[in-house]
Amino acid sequence: MTATLVPPTTQLPPSNHPYADVIHRLEAGGSMLPDTPENLMQIIGLYKAYAVPMDFYWRDLLYIAEQVFLEPLPAFKYFLPQEYLDLRNHYAGDDADWRFWRGEATAHPELLEFMSKGELNTKIPKLFHHLYHDRINMEFAEECMRAMFWHRNMGGELEPYMDSEEYRQNADRAIRAYFKNNPIMLGLYKLFPELFLEQCRQSTMTSVLGLFWEIMAPVFFEMSDVYDEGGFKGVPDAMNFLVSGIFAIAGRPIYHRVNIRGEWFEIVPKSKGFTWLYEAAFPYVEAVFYRTSPFRGTKSYNAQANEVPKDQNDFHYGILYADKFPVGSAGIPPTLLHQDMYHFLPQYLVDYYKQFCRGEDDTLIQLGVSFQRSMYNVTSAVIQAGRAAFLYPLDDPNPKHLLANRHYFEGQLNRFCNPKYEMDKAARIGMVQDQNYR
Amino acid sequence: MKWIRLRELAWFKIKTIVNYANYAQTQEITMTTIVDIAVNNEGFSTLVTAVSAASLVEALQSPGPFTVFAPNDAAFAKLPPGTITTLVQNIPQLARILTYHVVAGKYKKEDLIGVKSLISLEGSQIDLDISEEGFEANNATVIAADIEADNGVIHVIDTVMLMRPHWFYPIMESGKVGV
Repeated sequence: MTATLVPPTTQLPPSNHPYADVIHRLEAGGSMLPDTPENLMQIIGLYKAYAVPMDFYWRDLLYIAEQVFLEPLPAFKYFLPQEYLDLRNHYAGDDADWRFWRGEATAHPELLEFMSKGELNTKIPKLFHHLYHDRINMEFAEECMRAMFWHRNMGGELEPYMDSEEYRQNADRAIRAYFKNNPIMLGLYKLFPELFLEQCRQSTMTSVLGLFWEIMAPVFFEMSDVYDEGGFKGVPDAMNFLVSGIFAIAGRPIYHRVNIRGEWFEIVPKSKGFTWLYEAAFPYVEAVFYRTSPFRGTKSYNAQANEVPKDQNDFHYGILYADKFPVGSAGIPPTLLHQDMYHFLPQYLVDYYKQFCRGEDDTLIQLGVSFQRSMYNVTSAVIQAGRAAFLYPLDDPNPKHLLANRHYFEGQLNRFCNPKYEMDKAARIGMVQDQNYR
Repeated sequence: MKWIRLRELAWFKIKTIVNYANYAQTQEITMTTIVDIAVNNEGFSTLVTAVSAASLVEALQSPGPFTVFAPNDAAFAKLPPGTITTLVQNIPQLARILTYHVVAGKYKKEDLIGVKSLISLEGSQIDLDISEEGFEANNATVIAADIEADNGVIHVIDTVMLMRPHWFYPIMESGKVGV
């Protein structure tokens, strides 16, 4: 099932798991993705191609959460104002809280160039680019937000807080202020308060995802720069860079505030102590990489025939299980994201894709598979970070501790072996072990 | 005569109250709190700085009682670069991590034998494993147990504990049971 046999490196006997090689690789400090130069090139190239649109996503998500808020007809929510293009990323630039990327804190130059000319490579008014769909596809970002919002209950304290009286009161103050001069909306709010509150929760989740990606964009930019300088020797180096990043930034506050006529309203204050790791990163990985929701495309799901799990814990439609056939959707497989990344591929990946399959004609699929590989690597980083945070070092001399680490790794990989709803067949972990999977 | 007796009685009572107040004051002055122990012992400078930055000193000097799983300097040094910097920049988040190391009540090691977990002041559970091999809280090993303070007890740990999310437990269970 796997490309190379990896012998166990711990004092424990070999694992009997169906993905024993992957278990042994994780125990040796590796990734779920085999350590090959081709894999390293693909994942780093994709991180760079992802980081540029992500630089737009996080800015626009914060704009939507902080300024658009409950606008009933948000037709222009993807028209990012200059203020948010100039918004300083807290993790890049000279005045960064913690500098991940040595580049600038404002919007990336490649993003600005694309926004002005689009794929058409012509400077026409922004509205025409938008209507022609020649733009960054924010629909993907919002789909990720909806996945996080819909699944909820994936750990962290934000989930119960959004149902608390304190949250209701904060939201109530903001909603009343937002619709102060709009008696119709205020009347509707009086009639259907829960509907408005739910919209406010969605806005909170929009802020959460924006704050999450604000960090990932400079991390990916820096990884691309390090790779270009020859800094990563293999896939584990790239994974460990992510693990270090996760720890460095684990305590970054997660909050939601709304600007209403110049006044900031705190809906989820920073003082609640919510953190990037618990309230954003773990829920994001669970909701987006593993679960999401059944998607329209190459397969129809009949919920009445039990083809869709009754238990949300069993949802398995995330990127780690995705058939990369492009169906044009924002959901998984996220063709709209692939389209965004297509505009910012490094030249070495463009040249690479030309050599395989149908060359330029199916670049979108090939980069989708590379993206899947890169997300298996990010998931590996999260798994290793979880192991380091909750369990023991990989070189721990205590066999009891090593066994706990193994249970953790095997428990994680069991998610790809579950025959329920054919999750085992959908999981792509076996396929990414093979370099010929494109 | 009666008046004298009453006066004596009143004087006696006043003296008693004053004596008691003096006694209480003396006790307060000489009370050795959890914070005092951390401050006056080597190896807790990072913890003391963090507790002070998070404005938790007063709380940990209150009568409590508390059980504190206190990471030593070596435990903090094991955290990757940036972790502490980010937390110190964000005090509520720092306070959350620190309160995860504190439990209401005074629990010495012998009180915890057979106890699977405690609920921290942060609200999440701390898993305990006490056996002949040792005393562990989550993934931290207790390297010095039962350091008594007047407002609680300290167990020194070698690793900073991080809250285990609810999904961690089914993952571990699945790993034990197998595919």
